[in-house]
Amino acid sequence: MLRLYFMLLFTSLVFNATADNFYSVKGQIYSDQGEPLTGVTILIKENLRGAQTDSLGRFVIDKLKPGDYTLIVSAIGYNQQFLVVTIAYSSVSHLVIHLKANVKGLNEVNILGRQENHDNLIDLTRTPMPSTVITRKQIEMMGSRRLDEVLKEQTGLAVVNDIGAGPRAVGLQLQGFDSGYTMIMIDGQPMTGRNSGNFDLSRISVANIERIEIIKGASSCLFGSEALAGVVNIVTRQNISQSQGLANIRYGSFNTLDATLEGETPFAKGKGSGYLSGNYYRTDGFNSNPYLSEGKTAPPYNSYTIQGRARYTLSNINALNLTGRFAVRNSDNQISYNTTPTKDVLGETDLNGAAILNSNFSSGLRLKTQYYLTRYSTDQNINSLSGQVLIPENNFVQYLHRVEVQAAQTYWGGMAFTAGLGGQLETMNNNLYNGSQSQSTVFIYAQGDCTLSDKLNLTGGLRGERQNRYGSSLTPSFGIKYQPVQALMLKAAIATGFKTPDFRQLYLNFTNLAGGGYTVLGTDIFTSELKKLQDAGQIASVFANASKVSTLQPERSVSYSGGFTWVITPSLKADVNAFYNDVRNFINTDQVASKTIGAQVFSYFNIAKAYLTGADIGLSWNPAAGWNISAGYQLLYAKDRSVIDSIKNGTGLYAKVYDAKTGKIRRSKVSDYFGLDNRCRHMANIKITYANDPSGITAMFRVNYRDKYGFQESNIPNNFLDPYDVYVSPFFLLNASVQKTLMNKHFSVQLAADNIMNYRDQLMPAQSGRTIMLGLNYRFFKNK
Amino acid sequence: MKINANNHFSIKRLLIAFTTMAALSSCTKDQLRPQLADGSSIVVTDLPGDTGRTVATGFRTFYFSLTTNAKVDSTQKQTADWDICFAREYNSYLGVNSGTDNASYGIGGPGHGAMVQVNQAYDQVTTAPSDDVFKNNGVSSAGWDPGNGTGWYFYDLNTHIAVPIKNRTFVIRTATGKYAKLELVSMYKGAPAVVTNLYWPAPYFTFRYYVQQDGTRNLATKN
Repeated sequence: MLRLYFMLLFTSLVFNATADNFYSVKGQIYSDQGEPLTGVTILIKENLRGAQTDSLGRFVIDKLKPGDYTLIVSAIGYNQQFLVVTIAYSSVSHLVIHLKANVKGLNEVNILGRQENHDNLIDLTRTPMPSTVITRKQIEMMGSRRLDEVLKEQTGLAVVNDIGAGPRAVGLQLQGFDSGYTMIMIDGQPMTGRNSGNFDLSRISVANIERIEIIKGASSCLFGSEALAGVVNIVTRQNISQSQGLANIRYGSFNTLDATLEGETPFAKGKGSGYLSGNYYRTDGFNSNPYLSEGKTAPPYNSYTIQGRARYTLSNINALNLTGRFAVRNSDNQISYNTTPTKDVLGETDLNGAAILNSNFSSGLRLKTQYYLTRYSTDQNINSLSGQVLIPENNFVQYLHRVEVQAAQTYWGGMAFTAGLGGQLETMNNNLYNGSQSQSTVFIYAQGDCTLSDKLNLTGGLRGERQNRYGSSLTPSFGIKYQPVQALMLKAAIATGFKTPDFRQLYLNFTNLAGGGYTVLGTDIFTSELKKLQDAGQIASVFANASKVSTLQPERSVSYSGGFTWVITPSLKADVNAFYNDVRNFINTDQVASKTIGAQVFSYFNIAKAYLTGADIGLSWNPAAGWNISAGYQLLYAKDRSVIDSIKNGTGLYAKVYDAKTGKIRRSKVSDYFGLDNRCRHMANIKITYANDPSGITAMFRVNYRDKYGFQESNIPNNFLDPYDVYVSPFFLLNASVQKTLMNKHFSVQLAADNIMNYRDQLMPAQSGRTIMLGLNYRFFKNK
Repeated sequence: MKINANNHFSIKRLLIAFTTMAALSSCTKDQLRPQLADGSSIVVTDLPGDTGRTVATGFRTFYFSLTTNAKVDSTQKQTADWDICFAREYNSYLGVNSGTDNASYGIGGPGHGAMVQVNQAYDQVTTAPSDDVFKNNGVSSAGWDPGNGTGWYFYDLNTHIAVPIKNRTFVIRTATGKYAKLELVSMYKGAPAVVTNLYWPAPYFTFRYYVQQDGTRNLATKN
């Protein structure tokens, strides 16, 4: 029956048939200054049907029977309007509504409601996998400056050092997946520039961010390779309705300075709009290592970011969007352990630009045609100041060009359909990769979101991708939401992910002369480079697995997710979600040869089959007006199945464990295996916020907890984390901020303190100590 | 939902819970290092190897006397003035002064040195093994353990940091034929309990040893 209904619905969509006895209301909504308003909600009071305006302020509600209808028109920042429309055997079109700006709402640049996103027609909150949105208001309340600071306080996310990839390798872990498996996007397009897979989020200022969208779970069905674990999408300012500006300066501990200047305005009578934002940030960094006599473990740096957007309405249908972001970061860290100092120097530049043509047809079809370019370059060198040695260099330039066409059509019958196709070319010129390398991909994808009844919603998606080297892959996803009663929403989803081997895994040719003399060879250059080492007489023995090196396959995962949202009382809401990620062809390094000097030679293999499973719980409670208490918790088990098998079979070094309790070596058990390193089993957070409108005071107090996590092996080598190895101790971090607005909300003062108790651990090099920042903020806008 | 006294009470209780948590979060985590001094052993800390070099440039071997507790110049290679040497990558390969072992840096010299790896904790090694054990199970040098059970450290696969292996004690016959035991603790500056930087300065050796001066095989050191 359901299937029949679905088919009928689909047929009606395809033929776009309209019944004869139904009529529609069409119109356009403007601000009182005459600019078209996007994202305005129109709701019919009598039948609760509704619509949202597109980028030209247009809306349509169809399939209405004759009669009187009350339209409730509302948008954040504007006064709500009521309008009675009579449909007497003819459709109503050319309805023009002007909304009056609501002064109270204007001074908050934040948009809480769903607004049309010009850069991405895919609504990330409607993908099958669970998603979270962090708004600008929340970021401002936290008082955070850089993206890593915001994300590490979210449930299930952690920022961890990758010690083996050097002192600057820091990345985001999501549901236990390493940084390399999470796609970082800006306005729906991928950002590049990773250090051994680690994307250092501290290079991104949050000053110019409107909101951050996070999808946890495989998202390759919409975003392709790299979105195996999930997606973090940074959304920059989209919709500009009036001239306003902002100046913000923050200063505090470790000479940290964060200064932002931004302005935005509509022009050409609302046909065009634009914004420009500049940010300067500097910090002296922080040292958590008591053995250092000079230098920092969280390196000092300064960074400039310029970001902007221009939008111009070309016609009734077309609007052109140009966006750009340019960021520079320089860091100079002179380190000494009461020895001759070394100088660790980093310079990086990051460019993202897009030209987007948005076409909104009167049929309701929305089309986005986009060219996106990103360029990232980095130079990192560590020099011994005695002048004798140049320790490693990591210099590369990476380009990504992407052309994409997206189409979206929303049928008021309850189905939203998004599809896209495109192609991309990625090039990398790295001093460790034997010259310039490139990869190209073409892709096509579609997602449908279908509300079958008041209680049931289905989401499905499929992406086909063809990579020049790895051929085709299909990644489907499917999600279902069922709401048996108003207060309870049950959710389940399944999605697939894949990740093609990156440049590093194919082309890396790196010998760590300063860090033990080991060599890592990418699979593509493995045979030739190994031969060179052999010819030079550097190889003592080649292992049997060396013959399997050439067959690297893309990594694949299947994510299962299930849970519910339960509104227990109007002020208390619970979100519970269990997840299971099954990863096959997990790429890991393995030793393939040993050198005469004793050091190892590594290459990459699809050796591991891992699973990352657990659950997260979110609670939100409003105990009294102005107060909110929210809590989050994640349970995680992240294990490599091949390790479990090796322990069971007693393979090689895996067979033994040094038991610190007895001081003896014994046979290992599967229960000795803690899991992949850097992952903690429990993490939790509590946020308490208070907002008092009349006094203009907002305050926030946050506690973040991380359970112990594995740092490295100890005692004896057995290739897995056992209970007697080195762990980072469990810890709490306490953060607070308080803000007061003054002068009719033009001016605000903020005091923010991160890590109030000054918790430090040598095993967490990137974690700063107590940071207190005082911020002054002035908003320029017209008083009404 | 209406606010009532109960809610205030629970907020108060929450605040108490947070205060407790604050107390827990204020400490700074220190990595504890083992106590090396035992009253009879000599502890050497941060003995610099051929620092400022890399695997590409190679490392010059250095020589050390367990009698004088000092480095011996490499020109004295052919004498019995040194007992142990530190060779190869990061000077991390421990060797002894043997005039007869082809793999020894003392080959051709007067040294009577030999070395046996004992898989026991340093303080539990109380007697030097018999000459037969030195002859049959002796090792010429000990450094990176590639997985065969000989050596004093391994590399962690993820961090690429050299980690000393538990219960690896080396019983040494000195150049002059006395018995000694030796434990290598670290090759990194400061001998931290955990090395947290891939480029932590190395080689700086921290080790402890005990030489039985009376010529017997008694190596008990515990007070």
